[in-house]
Amino acid sequence: MTTLVQVQEIDKSFPLSGGNTYLALKGIDLDIRKGEFISLIGHSGCGKSTLLNMIAGLDLPTVGTVLVDGEAVRRPGPDKMVVFQNYSLLPWLSVRDNIALAVDEVMPSLAKAERDAVVDEHIAMVGLGAAGHKRPSELSGGMRQRVSIARALAIKPKLLLLDEPFGALDALTRGNLQEKLMQICNEHDLTAVMVTHDVDEAVLLSDRIVMLTNGPGSVIGGILEVDIPRPRQRLSVVHHPSYYSLRSEIIYFLNRQKRVKQWQAKPHKVLARHGLEKVNLDLGFVPLAACAPLAVAEAKGFFSKHGLDAVQLVRETSWRGVTDGLVDGTLDAALMPSGMPSWMAAGGHGGTPLPVVSSLTLSRNGNGITLAKRLADEGVHNVDDYRRYLLSHQREPHRLGIVHPASMHNLLLRYWLASHAIDPDHDVHLQTIPPAQMLADLKDGSIDGFCIGAPWLDRALADGHGFTVAGDLAIWPGHPGKVLGVREDWALAYPNTHIALTKALLEACQYCAEPSHWGEMSELLSDRRYLGMKKEVIWFSETGADGSSTVPHHLFFGKGVNRPSRSEHLWILTQLARWGEIPFPRNYVEILERICAVGVFSTAARELGLDAVSYKRGPIELFDGRPFNVDNPIDYLNAVPVHRDFSIAEIPIGTPRALGS
Amino acid sequence: MTISTNPTSSRGDRPPSALSLWWKQTRKTLLPPLFGIGGFLLFWQLSATLGLTKLAGPLSLFTEERTRELLFYPFFDRGGLDKGLFLHAMSSLSRVALGYTLAAVVGIAAGIAVGLNKGLDRALDPLFQFLRMVAPLAWVPIALVLFQNNQPAAIFVIFVTSIWPILINTAEGVRQIPQDYRNVALVLQMSNRNFFTKVLIPSALPYIFTGLRISIGLAWLAIIAAEIVMPGTPGIGFFIWDAYQNSYVSDIILGVIWIGAIGLILDRLMVWLQNRIAAGQ
Repeated sequence: MTTLVQVQEIDKSFPLSGGNTYLALKGIDLDIRKGEFISLIGHSGCGKSTLLNMIAGLDLPTVGTVLVDGEAVRRPGPDKMVVFQNYSLLPWLSVRDNIALAVDEVMPSLAKAERDAVVDEHIAMVGLGAAGHKRPSELSGGMRQRVSIARALAIKPKLLLLDEPFGALDALTRGNLQEKLMQICNEHDLTAVMVTHDVDEAVLLSDRIVMLTNGPGSVIGGILEVDIPRPRQRLSVVHHPSYYSLRSEIIYFLNRQKRVKQWQAKPHKVLARHGLEKVNLDLGFVPLAACAPLAVAEAKGFFSKHGLDAVQLVRETSWRGVTDGLVDGTLDAALMPSGMPSWMAAGGHGGTPLPVVSSLTLSRNGNGITLAKRLADEGVHNVDDYRRYLLSHQREPHRLGIVHPASMHNLLLRYWLASHAIDPDHDVHLQTIPPAQMLADLKDGSIDGFCIGAPWLDRALADGHGFTVAGDLAIWPGHPGKVLGVREDWALAYPNTHIALTKALLEACQYCAEPSHWGEMSELLSDRRYLGMKKEVIWFSETGADGSSTVPHHLFFGKGVNRPSRSEHLWILTQLARWGEIPFPRNYVEILERICAVGVFSTAARELGLDAVSYKRGPIELFDGRPFNVDNPIDYLNAVPVHRDFSIAEIPIGTPRALGS
Repeated sequence: MTISTNPTSSRGDRPPSALSLWWKQTRKTLLPPLFGIGGFLLFWQLSATLGLTKLAGPLSLFTEERTRELLFYPFFDRGGLDKGLFLHAMSSLSRVALGYTLAAVVGIAAGIAVGLNKGLDRALDPLFQFLRMVAPLAWVPIALVLFQNNQPAAIFVIFVTSIWPILINTAEGVRQIPQDYRNVALVLQMSNRNFFTKVLIPSALPYIFTGLRISIGLAWLAIIAAEIVMPGTPGIGFFIWDAYQNSYVSDIILGVIWIGAIGLILDRLMVWLQNRIAAGQ
């Protein structure tokens, strides 16, 4: 397909009173193909309308150029027709005359009869045949916008530019007009750029959605391809598997932008006190039972005890928020899946490789593989049944939910499926879904099951929508669950703070491991600041919430539980490479050396008088009995039964460098 | 057997006549002003009869022989200045028409120029704001010095009194053309001429009409000032001035009634015109 619009490295600044300038857009680069429908989305004031105006020629970029059909845009013209937010109809002219005015201006050579035919055709196209003689003031908002669209289409523009066209309309009218616009765009193969606030509208109408970050200096934060086939129906697109993931992707982006804005609005000075380099820490977490050590450390004053008297827990809705928070520095440290440090160090998050250091394993176990109740009703009770079910229901999409590619849920689920001759990429489809969404998806049948941590897993059981087909204790008892992670440059800049944080959390872990505290912890986590759910569904023992059992499900503390283990991280690296998430790093020894802060852990444990916990564990062996040889991970990778075509590459992680140096 | 649904209808309770229906509807709008005006006239007549003021009462329009003649025969013309009041009024109106038309043409043209050009606006706006505060009577000596001739001086006074609201409103109307309309013109690449006739004028029209309506009142107000200085020509202003010189108080009252009535009709006329031309905005 040919490119119609090229936006090339555009900057736009506006003069402010007092001689300064405000930089609205910075380095915007965008190619729009012929026939494509593009949405621009972002918060108010992010410059999306400014960008549209520059494509229209109503405004000129400060730096860079916009090309339409290879020609630089210098002024507005009818080939780039705009549909304005407030319709911009001339109120003294009737519907017909408004459209005729545009046709007369743009096609002056048309004979009167031909002109009338064009006008009539377009009035009919937007379904306003009966209202042609009316003035705009006699029409509803929706009808006015239809006239505005008809006027734009009547002059046959190369490019249709829509500035929040449906923003001022009620929901019903908006829906009808969206369908109408979609239909017209399909029939006439129009190229369109639309500015919108409405996430659903963007997903429904667009081929690609361009997300702009907050100003000043807005950039394109991401471009989403909408892979929903056309023609689309407003009511049925919501059932397309991509719909909700696209939607949540945009909402995540917009929320993230808001969060960053709020974070930037506050002053962020490094407070050094009590011999620590920084005591004001923002600690990210995701609401899960495994966040208990963080909640306990806050509630029981372990942070303050070790001098960290300004710690703030920041609740993220997904692990992606944790990744982004570490990348842009809005978080100091975070609870994270045990695979995340090596995944980020190997560049799995898509940016430059970012070494993330873990000094502490906060929890082990606590996961399970859940299948939907409706499968049990069809006779699926174990993995062999499920394999048979997949073979007999091949035409349906079989989707399983995971929370993050670098989490143990994903790796354990894949390992378990592959060991039972189910290819996790070909026989089923693994999809990243936020935990809260998973329960709803399991309920309405759009996923077959999921692998997820407590208490989500327990809630699915308690609600009766799912059943456990394999607990994690049956796959890898004592597998690492969540770890504490900080950026390497952060750890180097604040070494004493790092030790203090590790001490506070290790002490909290010890507290969490005591069965007599579990009732109190359920109560604590049920608070809105942490999980915000009923305490009955939050439990830590193997047998449930009855309170009598002292057999732990989560392991928070004990021999070999908390010490960061290089061999476990190596196992994770091999699994991530096995499924193509990252190339296997040729410099894996260096990476492991840098992400496992064993020294910090040892110092912390020694200062707490807990030397015994750092005892080394035995070799890694999962339920299938396949040995994992730490000395030759590549042979191991080649030997596992199912794997993707993995590559081996040197990961450039640079030399260790402290923050701000 | 038929069942009557309305028990009273069989008694021959006729539907209300058209007249009583009309009365019912207009009673509320007609009666209060009638009472107001009647009360005012009564008070005036009483205060004149009782000698509280030297001003003759409204009945003097009928009791004075001379005035009654003027009242009932507005169309006579005995040559010279001895004319009926209708003919006096027509002379005044033609004068007002000339001055006002001049004011409208110059005011709208200058208003558009000032509205479109920010520099011009900044240069001239203080001057306009100053000049519009000058009362019609104050213009009379200046006009006489300027033109040395009664007829053009009178027309100038009307012109200079009525131009400001037209000019200022037109300029505002042009400034207030919504950016949306300008954007439409830009995107359609309209020629300047088309922009002027198809967007600028229709868009500013309501403002222009507001100016025209205020001005017609002012122009009519200025007529007395203009005609006071023009002895020897027919006109309603001169008629009043002449009656005053001769102490014909009841004639003055009659002249004032004509002036008020004509002013009211002119204003209604402008409203009607505005509704005809600039409707739907």
